[in-house]
Amino acid sequence: MTFLQLIRKNLFRKKLRTALTIFAIFIAFLIFGVLATFQNGMNAGVDLAGADRLIVTNKINFTQPMPIAYVSRVAAVPGIARVAHASWFGGYYQEPKNFLVSFAIDPASYLDIYSEYVVAPAQREAFLRDRGGVLVGKVVADTYGFKVGDRIPLKSSIWRQKNGSDTWDFTVSGIVTPREARVDTNFVMFHYEYFKETRDVGGDTIGWMIVKTANTKDNERIIKTIDTQFANSPFETETKTEQAFNKAFIEQMGDLGFIILAVVGSAFVTILLIVGNTMMLTVRERTNEIAVLKTIGFTGERIFALIIGESLLLAVIGGLLGVGLAWLISFGMAQAMSSFGPMTFSLNTALTSFVLIATLGVLTGFVPAYRAMKLDVVTALGRK
Amino acid sequence: MSRTLTQIMAVTSMNLRSIPQRIWTSLSTVIAIGFVTGVLLAFLALANGFAATVSGTGSPDVAVILRKGGDELSSVLTREQTLLMQEAPGIAKSADGKPLMSPELYVVIDGIKKSSQTKANLPLRGLGTLADQVRKGVRISSGRMFRTGTNELVVGRSVSKQFEGFEVGKQIRLASQNWTVVGEFEANGSVFESELWADVAVLQGLYQRGSTVQSVRARLQSPDSLQKVKDFAEADPRIKLDVKSEQAFYAAQSKGMSDVIQYLGWPLAIAMSFGALAGALNTMYASVDARMREIATLRALGFGGLPAFVGTMAESLLLSVVGGLLGALGVYLFFDGLSAATLGGNFTQVVFSMKLSGDLVLQGVILALVIGFVGGFFPAWRAARVPILAAFRAG
Repeated sequence: MTFLQLIRKNLFRKKLRTALTIFAIFIAFLIFGVLATFQNGMNAGVDLAGADRLIVTNKINFTQPMPIAYVSRVAAVPGIARVAHASWFGGYYQEPKNFLVSFAIDPASYLDIYSEYVVAPAQREAFLRDRGGVLVGKVVADTYGFKVGDRIPLKSSIWRQKNGSDTWDFTVSGIVTPREARVDTNFVMFHYEYFKETRDVGGDTIGWMIVKTANTKDNERIIKTIDTQFANSPFETETKTEQAFNKAFIEQMGDLGFIILAVVGSAFVTILLIVGNTMMLTVRERTNEIAVLKTIGFTGERIFALIIGESLLLAVIGGLLGVGLAWLISFGMAQAMSSFGPMTFSLNTALTSFVLIATLGVLTGFVPAYRAMKLDVVTALGRK
Repeated sequence: MSRTLTQIMAVTSMNLRSIPQRIWTSLSTVIAIGFVTGVLLAFLALANGFAATVSGTGSPDVAVILRKGGDELSSVLTREQTLLMQEAPGIAKSADGKPLMSPELYVVIDGIKKSSQTKANLPLRGLGTLADQVRKGVRISSGRMFRTGTNELVVGRSVSKQFEGFEVGKQIRLASQNWTVVGEFEANGSVFESELWADVAVLQGLYQRGSTVQSVRARLQSPDSLQKVKDFAEADPRIKLDVKSEQAFYAAQSKGMSDVIQYLGWPLAIAMSFGALAGALNTMYASVDARMREIATLRALGFGGLPAFVGTMAESLLLSVVGGLLGALGVYLFFDGLSAATLGGNFTQVVFSMKLSGDLVLQGVILALVIGFVGGFFPAWRAARVPILAAFRAG
């Protein structure tokens, strides 16, 4: 009988107990995998933010406007590669519950800066040409079945047209696909010029600017230059890196990171207790046997490895099952929860779970394995 | 019958008194169940606290008047609409005969959250001159009220607690103008405590809103006069505004978020329960196995299967109740009353406190008992069927 076989035979001697323990581990890793997928989705904007991108907003709050004249003044700052702007539309499709992340943009510069948004060249051309065109993110297109060439009416919960209507009609010029899975495409965007001319109030104002810097080393200087330039004007600005801006945006929801950590932490403390307890029971029941193994020549180290091997195998089976199911579920989450962000089961999540599996296996096996290693043959056999 | 009862009592007490022999096993089950209950109760306390704050806001005898289909942030009312509404019947009058109405602006400014040091949206509300007579139950807790026509503002108690730089006497800067925080107010723990208030006319200038406002609050003669105001706003084609009771307005806002929190909490707790259940089953099977000879001996003495069953169940239920109560105690000690903030209905921060209630604790203990019941049932079943011969097997 090989060493591994011995571990396996040991583990499945009490089938029910082992199955239950594996189940508990499975659940904990399932919870971990699903919550990590969710967190990946929420944090995609922070993790993927371009290091060379800055967001310029009104200093009072990002919902406040600023004059469009700022765009050319910012573009004149040395070290800036490109400037784009966008304005929040607050749109929805048919009913308010079909909320759409929607904004009016300066088309060419915006698409240049956001290179992670892939638009087929012909569709891009069509969008740049058609003032009434709209680019629809893949998530939105899939949700509502929008296709290139469709006429879609979008309502705004904020703006009105000059004729009093709250509905703008657009033609779908193209579909935006993500360059990689974690890029969020839950949005629609259209021409600012068309929006500006048709809305009843707002005049020549925009919502925010996106600045692409030529060299990230200049970010600090550029941030200062921009904000100083507009200080003491009726529209003071606040410039931040895209990453800092996105992070603050998510933090508005509350400390999601802490909540997820607390839940996953509780789940793991729970299985640590359950599995550790099971291993203790197991080894205690086998006291005689271990003494016999020692008598026939098994070294203490080998006994130690035998027990640790058993707890590791438990953790590996339960952990891989849980993580595996979470991985399958992540595809469903990507579909069902696309409005929260692109839910993905990342490589990082997989690696973290392997570390957790190893840690769990070692931690739960260590004390019983150590005891078994130190077991005194004479007392053990005499104890009977 | 009474004989069986005596046997049950005897076996149960043996079971419970033998717990210390398996203290580590039992303790691990108790703690596992405690964590499960704790996670559930923490989520429920969040949802409960949020709902209490938001739905506790607003009074049935105040009407909120908004643009059709608009929320407070996106609504716009012209001066003409505001003036016409003053004629509406059913609106209470001040001592000198003016209708008790407050035209209001609602804009978003940045605050720095103390906990995360990140920016978050705070609502700055511009109030009309009669606002204090429209909204009852607001009390200046330190400093004084802002003066009309000045760059002064007062902050809600929650704002100064959760956000930096809003202490009374501090200056803040909005659109190149300095503003002074002159007071702090309390509003019975409602959403208003998460707001900053200033004079509406000054804000109209600052935000270039001309003479438009975003909403009008009106004090009703009685909650029943709401319909009269509604009908009036509906009848005049120049008005065409939505009129809601302030209470209903906030009740609708509380639903979404507290539902989300609950929908997250329950599935997580149930998933964790399955894990804890596996632990409880292991513990209880181990308990039965350890007492195999004892149970068989009792059977040989003429004890029935039922006492063995009940004894094991009682042990399992006791462990789970203790676990559930420990979980509840943990949430009470570490989370109850803890202040949290999230985005509310108007894309602005709502500060609230986590709130544990007897009803929630009961839900938690029931979850723990279900784990204890299922976790005890199968091992108890085994205990009830221990063959007498087991007493003579070499243990």
